[in-house]
Amino acid sequence: MSKLAQLAERAPELRVPARLGALDDIARYVLALAGRARLDGNTAYRLRLAVDEITTNVVMHGYRGGPGEIVLRGGCDADRVWVRIEDGAPPFDPRDGRLDPAPDVPIEQRRVGGLGVHLALISVDEFSYAYLDGRNISMLAVRTGPGPSTVGESGRL
Amino acid sequence: MPLSVSLSVDGDISVIELIGELDAHTAPEFHESIEKAAAHGTAIVEIRMHEVAYMASAGLRSLVFAQQKVVDGVTIRVVGASEPVSRTIRTAGLDRSIVLADE
Repeated sequence: MSKLAQLAERAPELRVPARLGALDDIARYVLALAGRARLDGNTAYRLRLAVDEITTNVVMHGYRGGPGEIVLRGGCDADRVWVRIEDGAPPFDPRDGRLDPAPDVPIEQRRVGGLGVHLALISVDEFSYAYLDGRNISMLAVRTGPGPSTVGESGRL
Repeated sequence: MPLSVSLSVDGDISVIELIGELDAHTAPEFHESIEKAAAHGTAIVEIRMHEVAYMASAGLRSLVFAQQKVVDGVTIRVVGASEPVSRTIRTAGLDRSIVLADE
């Protein structure tokens, strides 16, 4: 198998119930993918954080705590590692719930819902969303080359 | 990975020690300990995070909750947070009201 073909190999699919108790399995799946792709620790952390936040969002706001399923598929291309998150909840673009930090607002008055989506979006290099055939599909990717690693540069985590 | 939470009082400091990972599934335990620590009425609530390898926005929510729960003048101090964890706290701007300390 060529190196590129190996890189393009997909991780097995992960199907989990839409419950917060599944976050552990989701983290293991993403970290295993990151390990296979030999992502550095910081990039692996960012990808895990983004997937965690988006799937938490699906559980809490997509299915609203009701029953459902989340399907993860991941893989590596030559220059990026991606995770596709699919669910059958009503149409819900995670970006609609984004709340950027408001550091000038006193902490006592802070709204914190939506911060997770903000964290997810600044943690990955690519994000897209589509509603196709009754399914919400979010696609997240990080580049495998050296990338920004500090807050303040494009707001990237 | 589960989260282990312990709470103790040392003089005028309530100490919450966290070990594990802080996400939406585990954060409720942290929340409970914050309520108890706030009830002690100490001048400082110290949250030890040396052994926290991962924190999602649920942890941020808990820190905001902590700040909102304690009375004016009480200091919330996060000690020993790893680089990515303290980066997440700074990203949300919480370092303006919560003290981040190495030790």
